[in-house]
Amino acid sequence: MTGGTLDAQVTDPLDGAHRSIEYMYDQGWTDGLPVVPATRELVDTFLATTSRPADEVIGRLDHLKREVSVELAAINAAMAGCRPEYFPVVLAAWDALMAERSTVGGGWQSTSGPAPLIVVNGPVRRRLGFNATGGVFGPGFRANATVARAIGLIVRNGLGVVPHVLEQATQGVPGRWAMCVAENEEESPWEPLSVDGGVAAGVDAVSTTLLRTSEFVDNRHTDDPEALLGDFADTISRTGSWIFRHASAGVVFCPEHAQMLAAAGMSKADVRDWLIERCGRSEADLARAGKNHVHGNVRRQSDDGEPGAFHRYFADGAPKNLPIVVAGARNAGISMVVRVFSNWSGISARVEPPRDGAAPAAP
Amino acid sequence: MLDRILDPTGLSVRPANVAVPARRLPSLAGARVGLLNNTKRNAAQLLTELGDLLRDRYGAVVTIQRTKPHVAFPVDEPTLKEIAAVSDVVITGVGDCGSCSASAAADGIAFERVGVPAAVIVSDAFEVTARAMAGVHGDENFEILLTPHPVAVLNEEQIAERATQLVADVAGRVCEPAR
Repeated sequence: MTGGTLDAQVTDPLDGAHRSIEYMYDQGWTDGLPVVPATRELVDTFLATTSRPADEVIGRLDHLKREVSVELAAINAAMAGCRPEYFPVVLAAWDALMAERSTVGGGWQSTSGPAPLIVVNGPVRRRLGFNATGGVFGPGFRANATVARAIGLIVRNGLGVVPHVLEQATQGVPGRWAMCVAENEEESPWEPLSVDGGVAAGVDAVSTTLLRTSEFVDNRHTDDPEALLGDFADTISRTGSWIFRHASAGVVFCPEHAQMLAAAGMSKADVRDWLIERCGRSEADLARAGKNHVHGNVRRQSDDGEPGAFHRYFADGAPKNLPIVVAGARNAGISMVVRVFSNWSGISARVEPPRDGAAPAAP
Repeated sequence: MLDRILDPTGLSVRPANVAVPARRLPSLAGARVGLLNNTKRNAAQLLTELGDLLRDRYGAVVTIQRTKPHVAFPVDEPTLKEIAAVSDVVITGVGDCGSCSASAAADGIAFERVGVPAAVIVSDAFEVTARAMAGVHGDENFEILLTPHPVAVLNEEQIAERATQLVADVAGRVCEPAR
């Protein structure tokens, strides 16, 4: 089927749109949902938003003999439904992901099927219309939805990690390629995540980490900050997520929980310290799950050991082992524990400012 | 019209990879066997058992055993050279996860390329990804030896049994067909 013969057949532009969509399905280029046809003209508008050259290589997996250029990222971002002005955020998200140990290892091919959580900080949130409040995990907001989707399409198309072939997820993760949250900096009592990632507050930045799932903590039951944190500790300390000697987890606090903890005088570091001390399980609990003994770095079953001994969940209180974000609406005490795949790189990536100083309005 | 839609894969500009299979051995008698363990649970035990069986049944001798520094990646050049220098055949595995099954196939093709026939052992749950990786590395028809999934949970006795089931296929994979 050539473009020439099709041009002769297509008289209705909407017929052409439908044919384009089906063509891209036939090529194996989609994540299961329709994608936008990326033409030279459209992709050039994406490339015009960055000072980076189109042929700059921004990611590679040598063992798969694949590499991703700025141009390839732009094509996939266009296909994902991004507006051109989102592209600097996509590039920053990609840069942050490439700083993760797992993404340049075999993480994308893993049976655990991890998914990136993308966190956006700075004025870019409002400039481009990123949702930071109600329903922050989506869907419903173009910037959040399409930036996350663009990353998934780059992994699929650019790196060639396709489900059932080089991607071997046993079940995968709900929300894969759909988790992009803006931090609710306006209602957070604390510094944004990007500060933990080395970027000054107020500067546009993106942080990412790979997740294996998320689990809510609904606590509208206590005004005691320690009782509240105890509820988080219980959820964090489940044995199912615990494979190696230590594990990592993050918390996306709703504004209400964060403000309650801050009103009790707790900083983010204080919250982390509290959780580091208390998250964990007894030897007996872990033995019941076959995970009470550490061999090498991996947990195994053992008949030895002291049943009363306490195993700490976290290795230490570094932000990379327990990243904390504030997002969501201020309408209820509902937060999310996020299960981090290995740990966060601890590096946030700056978003390139709009070129020519012209900041496009949010749609 | 459709030819105006840009390709998001970058594959159109990728150079083709060509795999070069090694010559098979006339016989395993006196042949030097290298074992490359990919660190997956039970891989070392299975390879050791296979080495013992090749010695006892075919007169081969295990000259080197190495462990891959990174389970997800194909074997690094220094380890490849070190093993190839003292081996007439190589056995590698066990492909028992998403990335390591794929990289085991790449390892086999890498040894073949430097002239060492390779037997690659992969759990049958990962056959598709191992074959896809073989295609990436230039030999979509590269023969992989499958063993039933799972491998990681087997005990010592069961691993020895697996080795017994595999040894003739391993020998057949690295030797010329019998006349």
